[in-house]
Amino acid sequence: MSESTTPVLRAEGLVKTHHGEGAPAHAVRGVDLRVARGEFVAITGPSGAGKSTLLHLLGGLQRPDAGSVWLDGERTDGYGEARWAVERRKRIGIVFQFFNLVSDLSVADNVELPALLAGVPPKKARAGRKELLAELGLEGKGRSMPGELSGGEQQRVALARALVNHPPLLLADEPAGSLDSRGTREVMRLLSRFHQRGQTILLVTHDARLASAADRVISFFDGRIADDAALDAGPPPRRAGASGVLELKD
Amino acid sequence: MRATLRWAHSDLRTHRGEALFLVLATAGIVASLLLATALFGYATNPWQRVFTQVRGAHVTLHTTASADAGRLAGLDGVESVAGPYPTAALTLASQGGRASVELRGVPGKPEVGRPLITSGRWLDPATPDGVVLESRLARALLTAPGDTLTVPGTARRLTVVGVADSAEPRYRPGERSGLVWALPSAVPDPAGQVVGLRLTDPGDTGYAVQRAVTELGAGAIGEVATWQQARAEAQGDNRLLGQVLGLFGLGALLAAGFAVHGAIGTRIRGHLRDISVLKAIGFTPGQVVRVFLIQHLLYALLGALAAAVLTEALGGAVPGRLGDAVDVWQGLPGHTVALFTVPVGAVLFIGATTGLAAWRAGRVPPVPVPRPATAPAGRLTGVARRALGARVPPALVLGWHKAFTRRPRSLGAVGRLALPLLLIVVALSAWTTIDRFHGSPERMGLPTALSVRADSSLGDGGALALLERDPQVAAAYPGVEVAALVPGQTATIALRGLGTHREPYPFTLAEGRAAHGPDEAVAGQGLLDLLHVRVGDWVRMTVGDQPQILHIVGRSIEPENAGRVISTSLDTLRANDPELRPAHYQLRLEPGAEPAAVAERLAAAGRGHLDVHTVTNPADGLSPLRAVVLGLIVVLALIGLIELLTLIGGTVREGERDLLALKAIGLSPRQITAVTVTATAGTALAAVLLATALGLPLAHWLIDAQGRSSGVGAGIAQGPSPVLLLLLGTAAVLGAAALAALPAARAARRRLADTLSAVA
Repeated sequence: MSESTTPVLRAEGLVKTHHGEGAPAHAVRGVDLRVARGEFVAITGPSGAGKSTLLHLLGGLQRPDAGSVWLDGERTDGYGEARWAVERRKRIGIVFQFFNLVSDLSVADNVELPALLAGVPPKKARAGRKELLAELGLEGKGRSMPGELSGGEQQRVALARALVNHPPLLLADEPAGSLDSRGTREVMRLLSRFHQRGQTILLVTHDARLASAADRVISFFDGRIADDAALDAGPPPRRAGASGVLELKD
Repeated sequence: MRATLRWAHSDLRTHRGEALFLVLATAGIVASLLLATALFGYATNPWQRVFTQVRGAHVTLHTTASADAGRLAGLDGVESVAGPYPTAALTLASQGGRASVELRGVPGKPEVGRPLITSGRWLDPATPDGVVLESRLARALLTAPGDTLTVPGTARRLTVVGVADSAEPRYRPGERSGLVWALPSAVPDPAGQVVGLRLTDPGDTGYAVQRAVTELGAGAIGEVATWQQARAEAQGDNRLLGQVLGLFGLGALLAAGFAVHGAIGTRIRGHLRDISVLKAIGFTPGQVVRVFLIQHLLYALLGALAAAVLTEALGGAVPGRLGDAVDVWQGLPGHTVALFTVPVGAVLFIGATTGLAAWRAGRVPPVPVPRPATAPAGRLTGVARRALGARVPPALVLGWHKAFTRRPRSLGAVGRLALPLLLIVVALSAWTTIDRFHGSPERMGLPTALSVRADSSLGDGGALALLERDPQVAAAYPGVEVAALVPGQTATIALRGLGTHREPYPFTLAEGRAAHGPDEAVAGQGLLDLLHVRVGDWVRMTVGDQPQILHIVGRSIEPENAGRVISTSLDTLRANDPELRPAHYQLRLEPGAEPAAVAERLAAAGRGHLDVHTVTNPADGLSPLRAVVLGLIVVLALIGLIELLTLIGGTVREGERDLLALKAIGLSPRQITAVTVTATAGTALAAVLLATALGLPLAHWLIDAQGRSSGVGAGIAQGPSPVLLLLLGTAAVLGAAALAALPAARAARRRLADTLSAVA
């Protein structure tokens, strides 16, 4: 396969069952998925559908009970936890709903840490961090501690942290889930902006408005893909209702 | 690596207090272990050094003047012989005081047991009345070369020409005569002879003594001193100090290990979220483990280094014996090795406990998931329900429930907190025991405070009458002490006749009963061990050529002569030898009397015919121990404090999860604070009870074991007074409650959003 047609991410037959207290919960049962380079994919579904678990499996944060994941055409079955950690440094950026920032580290350190981990020289890491924070409207916040920022600001820092190494793939798990509408708009605007520059994004959300920004929407229900629809390329159709309110501008 | 450093650096910035504690605790532990090592080295080595340098005699035999001691040179296993030299017993006086001495006539410097001149010079035929004093004796008499000594009651004068070290048993006022070397011409009418045997195999000492006695006949043998005895005496209290310090150092090390483990464990529980994020952004499990491990190893290393540098640089300046010990230790061969191994060992131990906690940090899943319900938290017990129904404040009930329902963790917390408290209880017991030696010596085997030797010119009755005339003398017990050969004739022990049947000496008995009848005696633990006998046995020993058979009816506490003492009444010994005259008088004083003052008064009343000494208290040498014990209590309290802070941190953090629920069911912030405070105080109370319950028997056992091994005998252990224990317990519980109050109150008033952030 040529470079251009190799999917950034491919999954086949993913299964994950949680064994907690009580009956086992089948979070993901047999998922096949392909994400092409430059795609913006949204996975939607009601809470408890297993969306987050799927994202965790794709990011190597959890191991599937069955099935395989390919990163850039490379099969990851043999990867241990440490190997996955190394992959996450350069190839996958992750944003969660909560717990995105290390509370003991300043904003600057939070953003620079992945770059340093990936072996970027400190000077370059600092320059990259400054550039990203400036772009995200966070100039002068470098010295703040995460606790001093608003929820929207924290998510923007998280985004900067996820993107500082220019990973080919960005995984976002309800990035606006804990934000007010203004914060939600901010995050969505940024995601769209990065997407237009060619960033591949896999977004998990239960919010249809957010999903409407994506190229392709996958409906996830009871651990299975219920529907996989590509939205029109071009400008999104004007619709009445909630999604109509959301006008995305750069 | 850079990322790791960045994280470690930020962590240090936000947790300065924890870092400081780890450094201080390690420093305290390493310092106390180093001091213990120094004392051990000090205790064993000077004697060993002297013994090697002087080519010390393994056996020193005192014989009668007529015995042909020269024959011993031909015995199997005897490598070389010193003497025989003529000896005479004298009392010498200087400005510094009086001392009974053994004057030993030596023609030249002996090859075996050669005195090591520390100042002045060796004997010289040009000064026929010149003498060389053993250094401890010289110190006791406050003399230096050039001084003149008198022999009370005569016109004789001796000139000190030198002071020398010797490896023979040291001078102890009132108990063992000091050693004085003189030219044979200065010992005109010897009372006996002394011969030193150097053996080819020092392990054969007992057998060598036996053969020597057989060779010369039991009747010719006086006292036999072996190198083991001399070494044990020289080590004496220092070894005890070293053992106590070492024990507490190890205990503190263990406690600190637990404290570090607990602190890191709690920290990790508090950092689960951050660790997950770190992993999500690409920290490998190995890196997470390394971060925690390296961080804490660095703190420990810093503390150990500080302790080593401080001990090395300032240890010698510590006043008292501890400082001396460090000084001497620094010159000993094993010093560098110990200075290196002890800190490294401590750091490795702390590293190992840290490793365990760090490993857990490495296993934190990279997904920030809600923690699984911490433990089967347990339902409210029936008692608790009834208590709630009976209007016991709900905060108390819930706090109690919180402290004691999560079994493994609450047990762990109680145990960790109990360990330093337990060591404190042991330390207090040691303190009380030492105190008892000073406060009520009669209970520690020292019923009399003064020991008096009288000239023959006064006569028995005269001396006794003179002594009892003093208003502050409650009783005077006449006594003799002779060396007796034990069965098997491998060593000599001290046989004492003290008191009479009419006025028996008040022995401190730990076992059995007092000796009333004829041939009944009490013995110290050291003697029972030496002869492998028990209370109730009959023993046969030889005094001169006379056999003496005694029935041991009790065990007395014997702080002297390593407990190798058997005591009976003077009347029993007189039955064997009617000629026996009392050699000294032991004086029991009225309560409150000042021994030194009475001694001065008696010496004056005796007009030079009485030689009065205060009885040495073995606890005098232990006084530096008190400072050490105090220091250890501080270190242990610090460790306990950290355990407490760890516990409070954990309880408060766990409480955050229930905060909204508790508010929802209608508890006020004050009540929620009270829940946490009650839980902490309850845990502290349980720890105090556990520490007391285990610490008291442990302390008794340890002190008694120490007493047994030193020959004093079990039965000296004293628990701290109940008041002191109550004070300790109250301080611990109230301190825990007070410490918990502030963070708990802050947590209870925090406005918490209903998010998952409180979960992980």
